[in-house]
Amino acid sequence: MNSKIQKDIKELVAEQVISEDVGSKIASYYQSKQSDSPNRLFTVFAVLGSTLVGLGIILILAHNWDDFSRSIKTIFAFIPLVIGQIIVGYSILKNKSATWKEASGVFLFFAVGASIALVSQIYNISGDLSDYLLTWILLCLPLIYLLRSNALVLLQIIFITSYACSLGYFSGNKTPWLYLILLASLLPHYYKLLKHKKLHNITSVLNWLFPLSVIIVIGAFVRGDGHFGFLIYVILFGLFYNIGKTPCFNEQKIRRNGYLVLGSLGTVYMLLLTSFKWLWEDVFIDKLNFNSQAFYIALILLCSVLVLVMYSYSKKWIRDFNLFQYAFIFFTLFFMISLVTITTTVILINLLVLILGIMAVKIGADTFHFGVLNYGLLIITALVTCRFFDTNMSFVIRGVLFVGVGAGFFLTNYVMLKKQKSLKK
Amino acid sequence: MKTKKMKIKTIHIFIIFIIVVLAQLFIPFQMIFNQETILEKGKAYKFKTQPVDPTDPFKGKYITLNYEINRYKTNDSLWERNEAIYVYLTKDSLGFAKIAAINKEVLLNNGNDYIKAKARWYSKYSKELSIELPFNRYYMEETKAYNAEVAVRNRQRDSLPNNTYALVYVKDGEAVLDDVIIDDMSIKDYVEKGISE
Repeated sequence: MNSKIQKDIKELVAEQVISEDVGSKIASYYQSKQSDSPNRLFTVFAVLGSTLVGLGIILILAHNWDDFSRSIKTIFAFIPLVIGQIIVGYSILKNKSATWKEASGVFLFFAVGASIALVSQIYNISGDLSDYLLTWILLCLPLIYLLRSNALVLLQIIFITSYACSLGYFSGNKTPWLYLILLASLLPHYYKLLKHKKLHNITSVLNWLFPLSVIIVIGAFVRGDGHFGFLIYVILFGLFYNIGKTPCFNEQKIRRNGYLVLGSLGTVYMLLLTSFKWLWEDVFIDKLNFNSQAFYIALILLCSVLVLVMYSYSKKWIRDFNLFQYAFIFFTLFFMISLVTITTTVILINLLVLILGIMAVKIGADTFHFGVLNYGLLIITALVTCRFFDTNMSFVIRGVLFVGVGAGFFLTNYVMLKKQKSLKK
Repeated sequence: MKTKKMKIKTIHIFIIFIIVVLAQLFIPFQMIFNQETILEKGKAYKFKTQPVDPTDPFKGKYITLNYEINRYKTNDSLWERNEAIYVYLTKDSLGFAKIAAINKEVLLNNGNDYIKAKARWYSKYSKELSIELPFNRYYMEETKAYNAEVAVRNRQRDSLPNNTYALVYVKDGEAVLDDVIIDDMSIKDYVEKGISE
């Protein structure tokens, strides 16, 4: 316990501000609080330590010691694995602290990888990287729940993502369907964290890593007709934005709400990208193939976001109209319009971005949030900059536009600052 | 009461953990067992080859083996990239491995040994199917891998016939690369001899 608190309690008791009984109660409260929160910093260092040791072992084994016979090398393959298993078994049986479980779990994770790697080395098994990663992931998945380890969840997300990338983008060019199941297998742990440890740092990290992983991998699901990729990404970002708007996440600080930030930034990025006419002309020469995997995935995504939006309505989570939440619906409509006329689509998308920018400015102004206000202005600036390149506007008009937006930055910020000051008074 | 319940829970978790432990041990054991069976009971083939030297982040240095039999003349042009194929083997007059046939499924009435491999691409011009044999990596000590590549290159510059080959054991479609041989010597020893000279 903090010695300052101890001193204060003594003083308060001596001055008879509180009774001795209350003093000892306060002291024991602080003591119990301390034992409840084991030294988190120590856990972090222990996890880092076992990560480094584990990676080090993999590197040492990767030297491929020629001087040892096959059987000795084989024994070496199992030594780190068995040591890791014994330590993990010990910390489960003795119900050791979280630090023990996290650190030993991470060590075992790397030991499993090292042992499979060494065996494939000894017997020159080529195997794809994705097969190797998959075996590794599957063998360590149960450890997350047995040890309730957060560090393992982080590692698994990273490894599952690289597995899906390796299978979908690099070596295999196959759809990584298994990725969905693997990711879903992490959800119970994540749900528990969201329910009981909403404000812990680890939960915030996961709030970013989960959507990031999906954003990276979803491209591997776009098969059959790549044109739907644009649609899939816009809908996905819409899904994330709407998830970020559910009370569970919306009540948190923006920096803890990866869904909202990624959803919003992603939506704006995709809309700006598709606001170029040449993109539609170049990419959409061929007819869309509606009987493709990509189309069905877009459809499933769209349905799930719509269900989420309707559920949010029924729960009265959505009160004000926020265009960011519905941008994907408009984009889907525009995407369909592009089958008839590209020019209209491009104009509509440009309008949509402009309105989104204005909406963000308005939200920022209403809530006195300078970040959101300037984000809105940035959206408008980005739109103007994009149009700078591909329209045949005269330089005078472009110049006036830029001056206008620049002046807007000053003006809106100034007005809001003044308003805030007068409100404070 | 509470501690008893917790103890029972701990034991349950521990039992599940033991199952996980067994799985973690079983997979590498099974890998070893498979490979050992092939080495013991499989038939040995020599594949003429040429090694180059890349790195794998987890498994260390290896040399990639480019086999001389990596193409097969066929009129069938419908091959998908990375599709599983079955390569049937026979031996040429010098005792090196030769492709007898390639098929998309296992042939029931073919007595030859076969390997499960991958199709790479089909050239309509030369009517040849390019294939990837599953044993194209040979792991070596990190200091030796590059030297091995150099040694083989120098060896071939001497305009002697290529006698670098991979010794591969084959059984029921699976194959284990046992060693790479240059001048009747394991490539490990060959490199060591080259360094000492």
